[in-house]
Amino acid sequence: MPRKLSMLLVVTALVLSACGDSGSPADGSEEPTDASPLVVYSGRSEDLIGPLLDRFTDVTGIEVSVRYGGSTELATTLLQEGESTDADVFFAQDPASLGATAPLMTTLDDSILSLVPERFSDADGKWVGTSGRARVVIYDTGDVDDDELPESLEEIVDPRWGGRMGVAPTNGSFLAFVAAMIVEQGEEYTLDWLERLEANQPVDFPGNSPIVAAIDAGEVDLGLVNHYYLLRLQAEGSGEQTANHFPTGGDAASLVMPAGAAVLAGSDQLENAKAFVEFLLNDTTQEYFATETFEFPLVPGIEAAEDLPEIDEIDTPNINLSDLADQLERATDLVTEAGLL
Amino acid sequence: MTTQSEVLSQPAPAQKRRPIARWWWALAALGLAPTLIPTLTLVGAVLTGGAVASVPAVRLAELLTNTLLLAAAVTGTSVAIGLGTSWVTTRTDLPGARIFSILVTLPLVMPSYVVALTLLGAGGSRGVITELFGLVSFPTITGFWGSWLALTVFAVPFVHLGAVPAISKLDTSLDDAARGLGSSRWGAFRTVTLPLLRPTIAASSLLVALYTISDFGAVSLLRYDTFTRAIYAQFAGRIDRRPALTLAVILMAVAVAVVIAERRLRRKATYHRNRPGRTQMVQHLGPMGRLWSYTGLGVLITVSLVIPVTVLIAWVSRGLSSGQELGDVWIDAARSLGVSLAAAVAAAVVAIPIAVVIVRDRTRIAPVVETLTWTSYSLPHITVGIALVTFALEIARPFYQTTLLVVVAYLAMFLPITVGTASDALRRISPDTEDASRSLGRSALSTVFRVTVPLMAPGLLAGGALVFLTAMKELPATLLLRPNGFETLAIRIWATTGEGFYTRAGAASLVLLAVSAIPLALVTLRDLYD
Repeated sequence: MPRKLSMLLVVTALVLSACGDSGSPADGSEEPTDASPLVVYSGRSEDLIGPLLDRFTDVTGIEVSVRYGGSTELATTLLQEGESTDADVFFAQDPASLGATAPLMTTLDDSILSLVPERFSDADGKWVGTSGRARVVIYDTGDVDDDELPESLEEIVDPRWGGRMGVAPTNGSFLAFVAAMIVEQGEEYTLDWLERLEANQPVDFPGNSPIVAAIDAGEVDLGLVNHYYLLRLQAEGSGEQTANHFPTGGDAASLVMPAGAAVLAGSDQLENAKAFVEFLLNDTTQEYFATETFEFPLVPGIEAAEDLPEIDEIDTPNINLSDLADQLERATDLVTEAGLL
Repeated sequence: MTTQSEVLSQPAPAQKRRPIARWWWALAALGLAPTLIPTLTLVGAVLTGGAVASVPAVRLAELLTNTLLLAAAVTGTSVAIGLGTSWVTTRTDLPGARIFSILVTLPLVMPSYVVALTLLGAGGSRGVITELFGLVSFPTITGFWGSWLALTVFAVPFVHLGAVPAISKLDTSLDDAARGLGSSRWGAFRTVTLPLLRPTIAASSLLVALYTISDFGAVSLLRYDTFTRAIYAQFAGRIDRRPALTLAVILMAVAVAVVIAERRLRRKATYHRNRPGRTQMVQHLGPMGRLWSYTGLGVLITVSLVIPVTVLIAWVSRGLSSGQELGDVWIDAARSLGVSLAAAVAAAVVAIPIAVVIVRDRTRIAPVVETLTWTSYSLPHITVGIALVTFALEIARPFYQTTLLVVVAYLAMFLPITVGTASDALRRISPDTEDASRSLGRSALSTVFRVTVPLMAPGLLAGGALVFLTAMKELPATLLLRPNGFETLAIRIWATTGEGFYTRAGAASLVLLAVSAIPLALVTLRDLYD
């Protein structure tokens, strides 16, 4: 046994040192030289963003070290790390995470901010929107007729959908949608709306993907999700009887929320960090968002994926996205109070 | 039952034992440190930051009831099935027993949320089963029963792997004696064998029950509301972490209560034998016995392995035919192997002094030590991760975002697994054996390495294997603690399923299964059965 143990120890040490090499390229070069990689905290997954980062390094020669995670989780990590963070860029899925970390960020140059319509970036210029994601009603084309599809918040909580609607009340996108409702229509309306939603006995899912999968599997008839999950599923070869509906009511049900990027004020390579943000907004990358992640490009002139409406055709409510971060906690409170949690 | 087992295997007067050496205590304390860090950080954070109530008490009570119901159901079923499978594969002449033993254990390496996803993907009118076999509509099982099924699939191998060393070393002479004195086969099992297996059953039950309490992945996908749902919802919906941490401390208190309750039920009993017994006896199975065994094992393996793997393969092939790419999973696999192996070895080594203290010490502190090993295990992994992030940032900055901290987290969370199997093994070694070694002139240290540890080896290996397999699929803590760019298989699976890349998720899950199967097969074949 002791011999076996010691052999195991040796093997372990070898494997560990091997993966240590590939895992933390920053080891041993703590001083801020040009050789140290640009550290990106990405709330967007490697499958979506990995190829982009490779291209960035190919084009600019700047090495990148990425930390992938949930957007909220990374925002909290950044706040916890404070000044001592190694991160240079924060690339997040939603305005709430970006808003929460805004105090740590530098103000972006107008040359970057002006690339994107004003409504998709922070009012104080702390972050810039990079791609758009629309809230949609996803539905089973066999079970829901086109002419009965809900067009507004009010129609979403219509009693006819009792027990047929899939929601993800603990999901970040749903909470951001609720936060937008608070900003636009106030807490009282939002709580009442959530209570009516709950009274309809919606089917609870932990996230957008499971809702889309459940509709594809015929388990529920319709659901509240972001628009690109269905296009992903269809790219995987499923989802023939499932479709997206973009509500036309102009309230939070039609919300378009940007993913976005921000540069840490304490970054030791501000220029590279800004080059990275600019890279996210160049035409090639914007086209990548359109064709590979099925999001809406935000730079004018770049076409969205086929089958999607133009982003300007979506009747998104006129709210200041920077306010979402402040309402996130209240959104969670109200979702709990309404009994959805 | 306690008195019976004491009478049956009465050791030399146990109360006269001399106290264990001080350095055992020192080593045990050292080994316990990683577990205590998250626990203390968490309690400290709530004490200094203030407890923040976020969810109404009525709802919490409801969620807690759901959690405990599920824990009881999963524990009961998996212990019954796991004891059965370990018995059939060790104590009978069933052909192919070892292969079955590996097949029964394999599902352990699948993350519970993958099991849940595949169960969901199998059913439904457009699910994989319907697609493959053209059945009308295989129902999708969700809610309580779905969660029960997914977690039992995970828990049976846990019980099986823990029980195999105990059952294969079981003294059958007692059973024979009982049968000779007129007991029926069932009667002998109930009054003799079962009491002898009590420590094993107790250890497995705790592992399964407390894991069920901490699980989030499976129950959330299968839509059964448990306490962890409230905790995760606070993490997802707030930048302020205090409400989530407050709930985590409540859950930890519940877990400690479960541990203490379990010990009350177990009471104190000694199980070792002081004369060599017979353990070689193998029960001959007639045709009916074989038929029943194969049927039972077949149903189990179909649900726990064949269906999930079929769904994974279907995803991969469906995606590949639509032009999806697999992605590079081999580097991820090497990283997963590295940290998991390190954690397994560390957990096995550290368990030795802790087991010695728990089993051999007669002071009142030993039970406290045992309870403390459970505190981090019962927490949702995300809270352990957050506690260690806080600890590293404020106290041990050089270790922040290093693989070492990942291993420490695994050690903290999975230590009770090896402590359980090691204590179980130690309880079966009579202190007289060690005393004999000492009286024949060996030093205390030499006795440890030449007598005690070799006798504990099967238990340590089984525990180490369990830690390895559990660590391979760990997600939430790894995600928070790893160095930048350090992607593991579990992280890959999570990231790909979350975004709906089922092709890559399926491929990564299959690699996880394959990579874990090799060490598992080695341990099962070479050591547990020899």
